[in-house]
Amino acid sequence: MRGSIVALAGLVLASLLASPAAAQDRDALVARQRKAIEAMKAAPKDPPRIAFVSNGVAFFWVLAKAGAEAAAKETGATVTVHMPPNGIGDQKRILEDLVTRGVDGVAVSPIDPANQSDVLNAVARRALLITHDSDAPESARLCYVGVDNYEAGRLCGRLVKEALPGGGEVFVFVGRLEQDNARRRRQGLIDELMGRDPDPSRFDPPGTVVSGNGFSVLGTLTDQFDRAKAKANVEDVIARHPGIDCMVGLFEYNPPLILEALARAGKTGAVKIVAFDEAPETLAGVRSGTVHATVVQDPYLYGYRSVEILDALCRGDASGLPADGFVSVPAQAITQKNLAEFEAQMKARAAAAGDAADAKAP
Amino acid sequence: MSGRDHAPAVLEVRGASKRFGGVVALDRVDCVVRGGEALAVVGENGAGKSTLMRILAGVLEPDDGVLLVDGEVARLRSVREAQRRGIALVHQELSLAENLDAAANIVLGREPRRLGILDRRAADRLAASALARVGLAVPPRTPVASLGVGARQLVEIARALSAEARTIILDEPTASLSRAEVDRLLALVAELRGRGTAVVLISHRLDEVLRAADRIMVLRDGRVRGELSRVEASRDKIVTLMVGREVAAVARRATSPGAARLSLRGLRTEAHPAVAVDLEVRAGEVLGIAGLVGSGRTELLETAFGVRRSRGGDVLLDGATLPAGDPRASARRGMALVPEDRARHGLFLPDPVRRNYSMAVLGRLASFGVLPARREVALADRLAAALSVRPADHARAAATLSGGNQQKVVLGRWIAAEPKVLLLDEPTRGVDVGARAEIHAIVRRLAAQGAAVLFASSELDEVRSLADRIACLREGEVTGILDASDAGEEALMRLMTAERAA
Amino acid sequence: MRKALGILVLLLVVAGVTALASEGFLTAYNLENLCRRTALFGILAVGAGIVIMAGGIDLSTGSVVCLAGCLLPWLLVSEGWSPTAAVAAVLGLGVIVGLFQGALVAWGRLQPFLVTLCGLLFYRGLARGITDDQTQGFRGGFDGLRSLATGRIPVPGLTDLDAFEGASAFAIPAPVASLAAIAVLAAIILRFTVWGRWLLAVGRNPQAAAYSGIPVAWVTLSAFAAGAVLSAYGGMLFVLDVGSAQPADFGNFYELYAIAAAVLGGCSLRGGEGSVAGIVVGAALMQVLRNAIVLVERIPDNVEYAVIGAVILVGVLADELVRRLARRRGGTLRGAA
Repeated sequence: MRGSIVALAGLVLASLLASPAAAQDRDALVARQRKAIEAMKAAPKDPPRIAFVSNGVAFFWVLAKAGAEAAAKETGATVTVHMPPNGIGDQKRILEDLVTRGVDGVAVSPIDPANQSDVLNAVARRALLITHDSDAPESARLCYVGVDNYEAGRLCGRLVKEALPGGGEVFVFVGRLEQDNARRRRQGLIDELMGRDPDPSRFDPPGTVVSGNGFSVLGTLTDQFDRAKAKANVEDVIARHPGIDCMVGLFEYNPPLILEALARAGKTGAVKIVAFDEAPETLAGVRSGTVHATVVQDPYLYGYRSVEILDALCRGDASGLPADGFVSVPAQAITQKNLAEFEAQMKARAAAAGDAADAKAP
Repeated sequence: MSGRDHAPAVLEVRGASKRFGGVVALDRVDCVVRGGEALAVVGENGAGKSTLMRILAGVLEPDDGVLLVDGEVARLRSVREAQRRGIALVHQELSLAENLDAAANIVLGREPRRLGILDRRAADRLAASALARVGLAVPPRTPVASLGVGARQLVEIARALSAEARTIILDEPTASLSRAEVDRLLALVAELRGRGTAVVLISHRLDEVLRAADRIMVLRDGRVRGELSRVEASRDKIVTLMVGREVAAVARRATSPGAARLSLRGLRTEAHPAVAVDLEVRAGEVLGIAGLVGSGRTELLETAFGVRRSRGGDVLLDGATLPAGDPRASARRGMALVPEDRARHGLFLPDPVRRNYSMAVLGRLASFGVLPARREVALADRLAAALSVRPADHARAAATLSGGNQQKVVLGRWIAAEPKVLLLDEPTRGVDVGARAEIHAIVRRLAAQGAAVLFASSELDEVRSLADRIACLREGEVTGILDASDAGEEALMRLMTAERAA
Repeated sequence: MRKALGILVLLLVVAGVTALASEGFLTAYNLENLCRRTALFGILAVGAGIVIMAGGIDLSTGSVVCLAGCLLPWLLVSEGWSPTAAVAAVLGLGVIVGLFQGALVAWGRLQPFLVTLCGLLFYRGLARGITDDQTQGFRGGFDGLRSLATGRIPVPGLTDLDAFEGASAFAIPAPVASLAAIAVLAAIILRFTVWGRWLLAVGRNPQAAAYSGIPVAWVTLSAFAAGAVLSAYGGMLFVLDVGSAQPADFGNFYELYAIAAAVLGGCSLRGGEGSVAGIVVGAALMQVLRNAIVLVERIPDNVEYAVIGAVILVGVLADELVRRLARRRGGTLRGAA
């Protein structure tokens, strides 16, 4: 106790002496990276060392890993994939250690972009930085590889309309709403249902009912990646709104848990489900008709494109960088109609990932 | 009788030596245990008795020498192995599982099973017969926690008998027993012997040893100093062999007592809430409490000190009432309690002796909350010299000292506090003859310096030799207070066992 | 002291192996990161160690870290408090949490494990409720306060070398100053003050302590309060370092890192012994291990916990073996402080 006060006083002094490193200029860092790329034209990194960092542990990221490894095989880059198990502190630690290891390029899905600029910029100071899955526009990242989540949300909204031509009550389930991608997906969905003009910066608070255009979004529940909580959320909604018409799961693991809770309640098929991502249970649901449709972003392509872009940059080739810094990986709607085709593609990619892993093992 | 000498040895060690670090605990000891014979092993603490016992019971293996079971060389690697060979150790620190009942303890480790499931009825049958053999009339399902110390001892012996032990080693069996319980135990030893069981008895109480043993082996400094048969043995002979010198009796009553220091007024304990106790101890006086197990001696002392809540009444120190149930306040006002169970309530066993001394006077040693090491060392030096604690190395862990020296350390802690009132519970339990005399002398010295001393003991000898006055306690009630000079053993016993007046 | 030495050897071995396997390990940048992380976790570990030495256990560390980590930016950004008031409030909350838990243990006679397990659940729920599960961050502000965790104290002689992008080659991360102050103070208190002696006595044998006239309940209470305040202070530094906190997982498992560091550093879970130096070295060992897993390319990340668990086990086993050897050779048992 006394120690903290002494330390506090001492540190106020110390902080006056040392200049804080956080206030680095984003543009200067971007320029520095571009200069580095220019320099690599003459002396390309071969092979470049690239790290792909997720925002947590999930099957989604296993697919992304497959994409990253496939790209590694094709380009010859050395790629490692990291999944921080314990949130933002863990992600920071891994990023710092990657820089220490001396990687040339880092692709990261930031957990809290609004407050992580200094962490990301510290990476950009010593390596090439891009973001994927979730963007950090305030940071010195060179580009962002991902879906436009707002557009994906609107696609999801169109699928809900398709499932409920006469309108109805909708409930939304998601892991964390503080993540940019979750927020935008949800807003796109609500805006599409309400028939509003596109405006990604809009935000309807999660606790309030949003009604209009024949649809009523009764609420949004988060589970913080706790699967048991996610399922309990669905169960609670079934209990509280027995007449619910449609449930939307915005993260990969939400739809399977919705399916399971509905099955337990004997309501399979009675409530329409619109899903995100391609969890095996979700795809099985699409096949059997219990899931109306799923919006897939392509984690495989996140991994693949991120590595591909970083590899090119490390060899001095900046032509892959778009002017607006946004490498769009479009979202896709999977329904019973195009399911077979999609699954065939997935199978091929998974097999390729397996080969890549086998090739790496010895 | 003479036939016993030629009875076969069931257990024997030859040339057993055991070293702990630089200390030789046992030095080429030969010991023979015969069926149907009671062998007593006596010696001061640190003489090597416990080490010898532990070797015989499979707890320790000797560095040198051999062990023979039924005449064959054997290695006992564990207590379990020893038990299988028919050797049972009944521990000084009782080793029953207090959370289980008597039957469960008796069959512990050998639980009768049917199809892998505990057969409680068979266990009860086994336990009942074993309990009957030791003469303990309690149902097998009695929780051990509800039994007194004496009864627990008997349960331990019952456990050994039920395991069909042919050699039973009793380590300080009578240390905490009342007179009647001691009688019963010694009768049991005689009976076991008569049935051909070998009994090894370790005791400090020479009168008991003289009553019960066929043969007495005396150890000192890890060596056998003599072996006496019952006929040739006498108290003086044993003591001389044990100590290697003559022991002087304690001088008593040097000063005349002054004003009342400690007064118990209508004090009611939780153990006997119906009885109010009035007692007064004057400055310079030593008051002994005599009572059987269950008479509430410990409870009375602990309630007076405040570690137990009282059910009414007051404790006064120099005329001022102490706050009830607050040992810290009692200690601050100058009261001290040396508890019966040194290991549990007294010592910080793994900590250095020095810290054990200073624990009650840290506030006094410190300046502005900081403890100067040299003051602590000086205190330890002073106490170790005054109490002749051996060894005088204060950095040693308290756990490495012998029982008598440990007791001196606990006493020393309170001497450092210069108490006005000293409460002692079983001041010499598990302490050897030499140390016992020293501890008595220390207590007398404190009284001579003006402290009021109140102590409880289960040994009438001790009460009679140490106290100025003796209060007899029976079921929580003071049945009489006698002057030590005219308190005969018989008179005391009568008061301790008297029927309450109708 | 001997225990601190043993764990120091283990730390040096792990560090040596990592340095051989990764050239990045011995760079100024990495050493600075390691110092900062060790300091942050070390503060928690000292708190955990104090409670353990007093014979208790504190499982609520991670959740108190979360509560402090979420409340500080919340008070500053959402509620507009001044830094002084916000820091005082967070530390004050730590005191209250500790007194509450300590009182339940000391006077309520509840088991520390149970009380702090409930605390673990309660404080995290509280943090999530107060913040409505929203990320709490500084939004680029409060650089002055943040320098308490992100600041770098220049080292004359080292700082001028090899300047890179405006950052000195090696500077002492600010949290190290906090840990140093806390550790030195804790070591002095434990070793040289009456309170410290009482604490160890209560941890060793609460009954004998009560018979010795020691205010056992108050000592217990103060130990829990000290532990919780250090957790709150550590949580504050964590969020100042990272920049934001997610109520759902901020500080997850930190109690286990803290307890592991304390035990590695020589605290017996039976109470009554431990060394502050050992605890700090224990905390450093944990961080070097985690660092090594990312630095050495051959170890995949996902086996992190397995590696940490295995090394702790090896450390504890080695220690037990040494202790038994010492006992067999008859060395005196000494209680370390």
